[in-house]
Amino acid sequence: MYSASFPLSVKLGVCELNMPPAAVTNLGYVPPDGGWGWAVVVGAFISIGFSYAFPKSLTIYFKEIQEYFSVSYSEIAWVSSVMLASMYAGGPVSSILVNRYGSRPVVMVGGLMVSIAMVLASLGTTIIHLYLCVGVIGGFGLAFNLQPALTIIGTYFQVKRPLANGLAMTGSPVVLSTFAPLNQFLFDSFGWRGSFLVLGSIVLNCCVAGALMRPVDKRVRFKPSDGPPRCEGGAAEEAAEVDVSAQSADPAPEDGPAESKSQSYISRYIDFSLFRHNGFLIYLSGSVVMFFGFFAPVVFLAPYAKHQGTDEYSAALLLSIFALVDMFIRPITGFIGNSKWVRPRIQYFFSFAVSYNGVCHLLCPLASGYEGLVVYAVFYGLAFGMLSALLFEALMDLVGAHRFSSAVGLVTIIECGPVLLGPPISGALVDTFRDYKYMYYACGIFMLVPGIFFFIMHYYNYKKVNEELMQSALVISNNKEALQLRINQDDETMKSKYGLDTVD
Amino acid sequence: MAASPWEGEGGEVRRCSERRQKPSHAEDRGTTAMTSSWKQQLVQVLLVLVSCGHGDTKTAAPTPTPLPPVTPLKQDAKSAVLTGKNFTERVELSSPVNMTLSCTWKGDQDKPPNITGHWRKDGQEIQDSRVTVMLEDENYKLIQVFSVVSEKDLGNYSCVFGNEARIDFILEVLQMGEKRDKPVVSYIRDFVVMTCKVEENKPIPTTWNWYTSNGTDKEQINTTASKRFKIVSEERETKLKVKDLTLDDAGQYYCGAVYPIGTSVGQVELKVITFMEPLKPFITILIEVVVLVAAILLYERSRAKKDSAEGTQTNAEQNTEPQGDDKGAEGNDSVRQRK
Repeated sequence: MYSASFPLSVKLGVCELNMPPAAVTNLGYVPPDGGWGWAVVVGAFISIGFSYAFPKSLTIYFKEIQEYFSVSYSEIAWVSSVMLASMYAGGPVSSILVNRYGSRPVVMVGGLMVSIAMVLASLGTTIIHLYLCVGVIGGFGLAFNLQPALTIIGTYFQVKRPLANGLAMTGSPVVLSTFAPLNQFLFDSFGWRGSFLVLGSIVLNCCVAGALMRPVDKRVRFKPSDGPPRCEGGAAEEAAEVDVSAQSADPAPEDGPAESKSQSYISRYIDFSLFRHNGFLIYLSGSVVMFFGFFAPVVFLAPYAKHQGTDEYSAALLLSIFALVDMFIRPITGFIGNSKWVRPRIQYFFSFAVSYNGVCHLLCPLASGYEGLVVYAVFYGLAFGMLSALLFEALMDLVGAHRFSSAVGLVTIIECGPVLLGPPISGALVDTFRDYKYMYYACGIFMLVPGIFFFIMHYYNYKKVNEELMQSALVISNNKEALQLRINQDDETMKSKYGLDTVD
Repeated sequence: MAASPWEGEGGEVRRCSERRQKPSHAEDRGTTAMTSSWKQQLVQVLLVLVSCGHGDTKTAAPTPTPLPPVTPLKQDAKSAVLTGKNFTERVELSSPVNMTLSCTWKGDQDKPPNITGHWRKDGQEIQDSRVTVMLEDENYKLIQVFSVVSEKDLGNYSCVFGNEARIDFILEVLQMGEKRDKPVVSYIRDFVVMTCKVEENKPIPTTWNWYTSNGTDKEQINTTASKRFKIVSEERETKLKVKDLTLDDAGQYYCGAVYPIGTSVGQVELKVITFMEPLKPFITILIEVVVLVAAILLYERSRAKKDSAEGTQTNAEQNTEPQGDDKGAEGNDSVRQRK
């Protein structure tokens, strides 16, 4: 009878508040944290893998396409850039669609889009044709794969979310490693046109991934007597039903569409209030600087090795070592992030990962000879993998799964700039100074400064969240007592009126 | 270096053809010693000039008039030291050159004070090349200058010490880098562009040619004859564009970089296939995807039916999510189930 808006299960007072909880998730249901969730992780693995690996793996065809269309190398390289730019720019569109329709349809449409794009590209007659098909349509299709995959993990996992994220992000190096020899084989057998056609069908597997992304069952409500409160970020779960005006500043569930009033149609589907969210702002400002130095070292690893005098095969081997280390460290990072020591302080772990990247690059010029480069490749693989595994987990942790979709859309479109400008700027640095070490110093600074920034800002942020949560806990316990009083009173009246036992 | 044959008075007979053959010695021509009777010489000069015009005839008197200008041959030298029994060195050439080849041999256990050495070209002993080599500083040395002017002068030059110790100098035309060992693949009715390049630090060829293989022969491609072929050549790069491909066009194509000394040949293989070839894996993977998607969705539907058959909570209990994504998703889900 009583659809309690304050469930009696709030045990915040019992939970130790010295473990800063994640943002209030306000989910309204229990994420399965397993079961079909693992199938969803597989689906996300495939989608994320294709999104990141596909643009990089196409570069193998560029030389022949360049000869075929008689264009310069930079014109061909634009295809990759346009694809990456579309992928990042498509973020907000993807967010809107996911907020409206859920992950599954968006991923399937995305897969279809990329497939059609590749098939059309295989029939292309001019380079502009390729820009449009592979670049724009393909890029958007990949954007429709990336965002929903990340979002759906947040809906299925709460307790084991870092692990799930880490596993899903492993898709990128794994798919890249499989694509490299596969593309070579396709190219040798079918030339670039046939390869694009076959790639179009391979990319359709994103639709399979989409099929796996079954919308989570939200009918399973939060069970009151759930045993001792699980405080590893589960503190957020406890506070789920409570309308806490903590840092998340999430409006009550019913508010959403009605809130628009004078605001535009867009704001209904993208949460611009995120820009008032401290955690989100910290993350955004740090990432913008960080992404300038994120991809450039990977791009220049092989040329740097060749510059040092190693032959082409050894240079390629460096990249393979890097990818292999990357592949293994991502699930391990997810696992570490999930442990009870790290989970509540996962933002520190993220800051550490960013700073470690920076230190790694700053030390790179000290590496001498091929062995030094191998050591650097190993450490860089560790750093890159750690950072990638935590990249979206950190954001989810800050804004909550609820608003993650909008958040990631906004983040990717703003990151678009640094991601695209990073490698050319680094290239310009290399060309001006004729030495790779200045580029590595620059990338190192680009990553170390945000890392330290994150450390400092999150220290303050955690403190603030803690204070607010303690305040609201007090409020809740007060209200709880008041409610108990009220319920007892009503019980009495009911009993006296109808002579019934209360339905508890 | 041959001594100038025109020293001395009275002049010596010198054939015009000999003079033509050794233009390098143009500088070597020393000044003739003036005879007392210069008038006599002038007559002889005139005679020589007249008879030279008629080709190889024995003429009299040297002439101070210079021969028609000839570009002097470049000088180059290659040397090698042999420690074992055999050694091979490849030498790449692009223009005519006077090549000085010098071989140094450390000798056997027993080092006789002199041994016979000779030179070979392509396995055949060069006439009059046998010399006696003295042991100097524990080494034997053979030096010879070869005039490499045309393609037939290229080959395998060997210096042989005694009977076995041999150093081979393989003089050949500049090879093209970036050999493409995998075939270029293209499609029927499509076009293909095949390129050949010469590396940055190597000299630029005089011209480029393309050949197609005709049985065992190489047949030069004539772009005016067949409109389907188009050759675009820049300094270091040449492109052959073949339009409107047919299955017969498949095979080996050769690009030739023409240098003054000879032609350097690169090879490109062309493979022509129909669009059915990649279509087969395409369709296979397409079928696989459709099967998997159908299986997953059917499995889900059967599980949902089982759930609703067990009579769990009704859909009315759905909470109102602001973004309404579960509504939308489940709405779509039911749409799918209706299919």
